[in-house]
Amino acid sequence: MSDQIAPVTSPPTPAARLIRAGWLWSILNSVLSVVIFLALWEGLIRLFDVPVWLVPKPSDFLGRFLVDYPEILRNALATSVTLAAGFGLGVVIAVPLALLMVSIGALERGLYPVIVFLNIMPKTVIGPILIIWFGVSPLVSVLVVFLMCFFPVLVDSMHGFRAVDPRLDYITRSMGATPWQAFRYVRLPASMSHIFAGMRIGIVKAVEGVIIAEFIGSSAGLGFMIMRASSFMNMELLFCGLVAVAIVALIFNALLATSERIMMPWVRPR
Amino acid sequence: MSVGASINARGLTKSYGSGEGAFHALGPIDLDIKPGEFVSLIGPSGCGKSTTMLLVSGLEPPSAGSIAIDGRPLTKPITEIGIVFQDHLLLEFRTAMKNVLLQQEIRGLDRAESRQRAEHLFARLGLVGAEDRYPWQLSGGMRQRVSIARALVHDPSMLLMDEPFGALDAISRTQIRHDLEMLWLETRKTVLFITHSIDEAIGLSDRVFVMSRSPGRIVDEIKIDLPRPRPAHLGEYPDFAAYTKRIYSVFEKLGVYKFD
Repeated sequence: MSDQIAPVTSPPTPAARLIRAGWLWSILNSVLSVVIFLALWEGLIRLFDVPVWLVPKPSDFLGRFLVDYPEILRNALATSVTLAAGFGLGVVIAVPLALLMVSIGALERGLYPVIVFLNIMPKTVIGPILIIWFGVSPLVSVLVVFLMCFFPVLVDSMHGFRAVDPRLDYITRSMGATPWQAFRYVRLPASMSHIFAGMRIGIVKAVEGVIIAEFIGSSAGLGFMIMRASSFMNMELLFCGLVAVAIVALIFNALLATSERIMMPWVRPR
Repeated sequence: MSVGASINARGLTKSYGSGEGAFHALGPIDLDIKPGEFVSLIGPSGCGKSTTMLLVSGLEPPSAGSIAIDGRPLTKPITEIGIVFQDHLLLEFRTAMKNVLLQQEIRGLDRAESRQRAEHLFARLGLVGAEDRYPWQLSGGMRQRVSIARALVHDPSMLLMDEPFGALDAISRTQIRHDLEMLWLETRKTVLFITHSIDEAIGLSDRVFVMSRSPGRIVDEIKIDLPRPRPAHLGEYPDFAAYTKRIYSVFEKLGVYKFD
């Protein structure tokens, strides 16, 4: 045989890859940057002697995490549940809809203009309408999150389903594959990287959406806590809320990145 | 082991679109391929060679004419076939072995038996050690070998290949040509091999059909009477030169080549 196996290092085990490039490493990395950032902040505020009611130092509000952690944790949990529900709903509806729209031409022609219009419209304007319909309830936030992440997931999934080489269809048909088999064995995994790309954008939008929704129509969650702290000029709690939102966003991003690595072990390590 | 199928086509024609904008891609052509025969279609780009392959597999319906496989009229895609395209079309998310075993999973074949057949093919195609590699970890030649293994693992009666070595370098091409010939000698499937390469057509085939430019028709049929297995350097047969000259002269007559 003339051509040899390309000299590449043997693929690492999934567990090794998780540790090397996964959440552990990314968390360690971010913790370090955050610590440096906080130290700079603390130093600058002390240097210029800025009052607490204007900009609190990390030493002012980090202590509040210890004192107020039941309240912060409760609200962070409420936000996370809303986020997970809205995001999950978005993915569960967007991916099958994308497949339907790509498969049925008439459906795409009919629905796509509406979707483009809804996508361009700022989703948060629906908030006040949702409050009238559903009252001040977690449902409003869930629906706003759903709307925020739905479109990026839909658009990227459609792109992914369409990007599958049509000749693969010849190959699966020559194998006698049923439409379900062709989807399950070829089309879905082949589109997975696009679907995840959509979800990565979607989760960022979803975090944005959940906080705004909690600002306007909620009685729980970090957005609600921040709004209340703001009205009481409680700068320390407000900044705690800010940090807590960032942590929630970080955790969701890390969860997504980890599930991507588990579900797509074939991806070439970068 | 399943023996090769016969292919008989009458008045095969394919047009795309309709009315003024219709494009007449192929035919009418007649094809008669005996069980276990290795037949090449050679012709200029866009002459309808690939279309012929899709029609013979039943993956596309003809606009006119009919095909019979083993005497049975073809009405839907046949599954007793293996297909290899110019691009390997392997699934990037499956390892080489799992790409081949996709046949087993979709067809619901016996796993152990298919695995054994796949391992045999890997050995015959020089793929030992590549089983657990993803396509991006393999060279172009290796990927195409995996693609050939995928087309054969379910023991089909017919192998359809659409310029399978077109994207490979000349050296890998000569080697993979030989490996394919050896594999074919072992199993004697019916092979319809589509190519641009005169060397490849003569080096592999029992018969070569020469096609005209679009809309493709069969303008010459050449029986290649060379001993097998054929060597890497075909030039040592005087007949090879004669066959080559005949194909070139057909192409010149058709205006595919213009040499002054």
